[in-house]
Amino acid sequence: MTETAKRPVTIVTGFLGSGKTTLLARVLSEPSMSNTAVLVNEFGKVGLDHHLLRRADERTVLLGHGCVCCTTREDLVGALLELLNEEDRGEIPPLDRVVVETTGLADPAPILFTVFSHPVLQHHYRVDLVISTVDAVNGELHLSRNRESSKQIAASDVIVMTKTDVAGAAGGLRDRLYAINPYARVIKASFGEVDPAELLRPPASPTPVRDPLAAGDDRHVSQTHSTSLTFDGAVVWAAFGTWLSMLLHARGEDVLRVKGLLHVGGEGPVLLNGVQHVMHPPEHLEEWPDADRGTRLVFITRGIRSEELLASLEAFRDFIGAEPRLVEANAPV
Amino acid sequence: MCVLCGRDFVSRAHWTDRHVEDKARAPGADPVEYQRDRRRDRVYRAVIVNKVLRHYGLRVQEWSGSKYLVRDGKGRTELVQDLGSLWPAAQRLAGRPLDPLDPALHAALVRGD
Repeated sequence: MTETAKRPVTIVTGFLGSGKTTLLARVLSEPSMSNTAVLVNEFGKVGLDHHLLRRADERTVLLGHGCVCCTTREDLVGALLELLNEEDRGEIPPLDRVVVETTGLADPAPILFTVFSHPVLQHHYRVDLVISTVDAVNGELHLSRNRESSKQIAASDVIVMTKTDVAGAAGGLRDRLYAINPYARVIKASFGEVDPAELLRPPASPTPVRDPLAAGDDRHVSQTHSTSLTFDGAVVWAAFGTWLSMLLHARGEDVLRVKGLLHVGGEGPVLLNGVQHVMHPPEHLEEWPDADRGTRLVFITRGIRSEELLASLEAFRDFIGAEPRLVEANAPV
Repeated sequence: MCVLCGRDFVSRAHWTDRHVEDKARAPGADPVEYQRDRRRDRVYRAVIVNKVLRHYGLRVQEWSGSKYLVRDGKGRTELVQDLGSLWPAAQRLAGRPLDPLDPALHAALVRGD
């Protein structure tokens, strides 16, 4: 089954009280979302009223070498398989999408790992978006105090700033979010008021939404770096895959995000997208999304400097077949 | 592994192998071409990995199109499926982390030793 024919899974994450459920309640009330199934961890105080609402109690199974991101969420496997069965039996309409709501502290990586690695699920589902909610009132505090929250921001494709009605301008928080992840779309929402089409729009090609260098010179405790790279020619995919798999083995927990288009000499690029040790299956696209035919690759890392990545790629240059170049790098934020 | 045909029932391809596997699943794919691409890809990858592993006193060998054999100088051997399991196995044999950001590895690669 091609990637586009698979059912999209959207992950909604965000800190406790940051407005995940309010956002979901609002979005699910749209008639266009009636064939969207929702998996939640618990039925909270704000009742979600939706006919395809299921509960999945977080049950994780730690695998082999015991890193936290490479764990299988057995509860999700069960719930997603059950949805497939019900759809097959005609008990529910064909699914347009499945939304998975995580608990506040949850790292989205195990959900990605579960969908990509399960022998059945990987053929029927794909993860299309990771959405984070950030509370405009307490967001900065969470980002400063908690390493987990910068992981969630780095893993996101869309960030929804909630409670903007209470917090006012929240420009500082927005700069902070851009500085951690300049490639995520940031949407403001008060009382969960967002346009579902805008929220669920597929991510465009990985170009920065805003220049990370312009995001202010805030220096905080999270030690997150973002590095944007290109190569002066086509790269050898087998060699680049070898380098990246080695990097993810050694430092996967510090590589919060890898995203980009890789020029491998064919008609179209390879689309790379990874969160910690977990890589989305790389897609070899038929054509480039725009006129720019060069590699554009972004690494969001914790404790790994841009120069270290560049020096490593330089050392592997003979195998990779092209010279790496730094497009931009931002200081720890 | 199936004792009759010697094939593995690997439920998932590692992400580094997906481009060849996806091509094989595409409509009208030529199975002969798939085997050729796959074999070439694996042999080439073993060449690259060997250049890296030399720094750690290890060697890798592509084995019958289905596995990689990682060995150390004492003859200890680990059989692995793909790059996802190769690096942890190499680390066990080397007894130290294999970090691509290590300047000592960079120097060895540039010198070609």
